[in-house]
Amino acid sequence: MIEVRGLDLSLGDFRIENLNLTVKEEAFNVLLGPTGAGKTLILECIAGLRRIHKGQVLVGEEEVQDLPPEKRGVSYVPQDLALFPHLTVERNLVFGLRTSPKSLFKEDPHLARLVETLKIEHLLQRYPQGLSGGEKQRVALGRALAPYPRLLLLDEPLAALDPALKGEIQQLLLSLHRSIGFTALHVTHDLDEAYLLGERINVLIHGNLEQSGTKEDVFLHPQTAGVARFLGLRNLFRARVLRRDDGRKYITAGVWGKEVMIPLEHCARSPLPGEEVFLYLRPEEVMILRPGKQVKESLRQNIFAGQVERVLDRGTHHWVLFRPLGLEVHLEINLPNYVFRNLGLGEGKEIQVAMRRESFWVIPTK
Amino acid sequence: MNLGKTAIAAALALFLFYAILIFSLLTFLEGERFLEVLLAPDTLFSIRLSIITATLAMVLAVAIGLPSAYALSRFQFPGKKLVDTLLELPLIMSPVALGAALLVFFNTPFGNLIQEKGILFIFEFPGIVLAQFATIAGLATRLMKTALDEISPRYEAVARSLGASPWEAFRKITLPLSLRGILSAMILCWAKAVGEFGATVTLAGTMAFKTETMPIAIFMSLASADIPKTIILILILAGIGLTALYAVRLVEKRPQVL
Repeated sequence: MIEVRGLDLSLGDFRIENLNLTVKEEAFNVLLGPTGAGKTLILECIAGLRRIHKGQVLVGEEEVQDLPPEKRGVSYVPQDLALFPHLTVERNLVFGLRTSPKSLFKEDPHLARLVETLKIEHLLQRYPQGLSGGEKQRVALGRALAPYPRLLLLDEPLAALDPALKGEIQQLLLSLHRSIGFTALHVTHDLDEAYLLGERINVLIHGNLEQSGTKEDVFLHPQTAGVARFLGLRNLFRARVLRRDDGRKYITAGVWGKEVMIPLEHCARSPLPGEEVFLYLRPEEVMILRPGKQVKESLRQNIFAGQVERVLDRGTHHWVLFRPLGLEVHLEINLPNYVFRNLGLGEGKEIQVAMRRESFWVIPTK
Repeated sequence: MNLGKTAIAAALALFLFYAILIFSLLTFLEGERFLEVLLAPDTLFSIRLSIITATLAMVLAVAIGLPSAYALSRFQFPGKKLVDTLLELPLIMSPVALGAALLVFFNTPFGNLIQEKGILFIFEFPGIVLAQFATIAGLATRLMKTALDEISPRYEAVARSLGASPWEAFRKITLPLSLRGILSAMILCWAKAVGEFGATVTLAGTMAFKTETMPIAIFMSLASADIPKTIILILILAGIGLTALYAVRLVEKRPQVL
C-alpha cells in the first residue's frame, strides 16, 4: 500500500491541508484535477523532491517522508520527460541501474522485456534529440521502469501530445501495465485520459482530495459539487431536503416547486431535513414524453412542461436545452439521433419531460 | 529610418573604432623589432608569469565559483540576493579600488597575521594571483550560474528519483550538460585575468622579473617612453586575448552531443 497521510504543505498562497491519499498497489491510479489543484506538488512530495511540513508518506510499510528521493524507490516522469540529452537511449535506460550497459540487455530479462515491449531496440545507440515525440515517451517510460520502482509517478507526460500520438501512448501504457505490472500514479487534467487509464481515480480540487474511487464511482456518481463541476456535469440544481422516510429509504427534496423522492442510496452522504443540496441529473436520463401517451405512475410526480430553447447536433447525439415553464432554470438533455428525429423536436417547441426518481443524485453543497 | 540598416551601421562604426585603434598602433610598429622584443627575457618572463598566475587565479575562481554558482542557481537561502549583488561588485568597481581594498586588508591585524604566519601577498607572486582572483571570481560565478540556470533542475530531479545521490546527479547530469558554458566562463575569466592591471599593480607593484605581468610590462615600457616596445607588447597581449576569445567561440560551436 502506498499512502499519503495528513499531508500539510504550502507554496505561496496555495495550501494543502491534511490530505490523505491511498494509491492502490499494482493498479494504474490517476490523480485527476484542474490546473492549479496541486497535483504536481503532491507528486513531488511523494517523490521526495519537495519537503512536506507535516504528514507521512508510506511506501509499503516504510515511512519515506524523511528519506531523500534516491532512497524511496519511486520513479518520476515529468511532463517534459527530461531525457538526459548527453546520454544515448541505452545509457538513459540503464541510468537507474547504476551499471554500465555492456551486455546488460542480455543478462537482465526485465530490461530486455521492457525494450521489447516498448519497441525501442533500434533506438538504443541514438541520442534523445533525434527521437520523435512517441519514441521519447517510450524511452522515458523504459528508463523509469528499468530499476523496478515501487511506484511510478507520471506527471502529465501526455499533455503536450497531439490526439493521435496521445491515444497511441495511452494504449502503450495500458499494455505495458498489463504485461510488466507496476503501481502507477498518473497525474492528468484530461477526463478522457483519466477514464481510459484509471483503475482508481482520485479527484483533487484546490488542494482538497474531493473523491476517490473506481472510474464508474467518480464519473457516474460525483460526491461533491466541485467534482461534478470539474467533470462538466451541467444539470446541477439547488434543492432542499424536506424530509426523510427511513422506512422506505427515500428522501424527499423540494425542487422547482415540486417534491421529488430520491433513493437514499443516491445521496453522496445522508442529508438532514432542511439541508440545502445539489440535485444532479445525467442529460441522457431525461425522458421526453410523447403527447397523449400514458405515463407510468412513478413518473407522474416528476413531469415538467416547458419549451425547447436550443438544439445542437453533436454528431453522435443531439443536445437539447429545455426550460421548464415559469422557471429561470435550464435542463440539458442528450438524445440519440433517431429519438430526436422521431420526436420531431425543434427550437421553440413546447414539450413535457419526465425524470425517474432513480435518475437523481444528491450531492452536498459543502 | 530602417532599423536593420541603422543597427548594422552602428555595428560597423564600432568595428571601425577598434580598427582605427589597431591601425594607429601599426603605424608606430617597428616590425623588425617584433621578434627581438618577443624573445627578450623580460617579455618571456612576463608572458610566462601572466599565463601561470591567470591559470592559478582561474582555477581558484572556478573551485570556489562553481559551488557558489550552483547554490545561487538551485537553492533558496537567507541573504541570497545580497550575495548575488555582491558578486557583481568587481564588475562595477575599479580594479585599482579593488587592489587598494586588498592592500588595506593586509594592513589590518588579521591581514598582517596572514602575511606574517602564512603567505606573503604584498609585492609577491601570490599577490598577483589574489588580485586577479578578486577581479574574476565574481564574473566566473555569474557566468557559471548562467550556464547552470540553462539546465532544467528537472534533469536532476529525475536522476535523483532513479537512485542518484545529489553529487552523482551533479557529476553525471548537470556538469556534463553545462560543461560548454562552464568552459566558456573559464576561458573568458582566464583572458580577463591575463589582462588584469589595476588590482595587480596596486597589490603586487611593478617589480621587474618578479611581479611584471604583461599589462605591467606594457605600463612600464610606456612609462619609459619606449613606444615601439609598448606596441609590440600590446599586440602580443591582444594576440593572447583574441586566441582565448576564439577558443570560446570554438567551445560554443561544438555540437551538443559528440
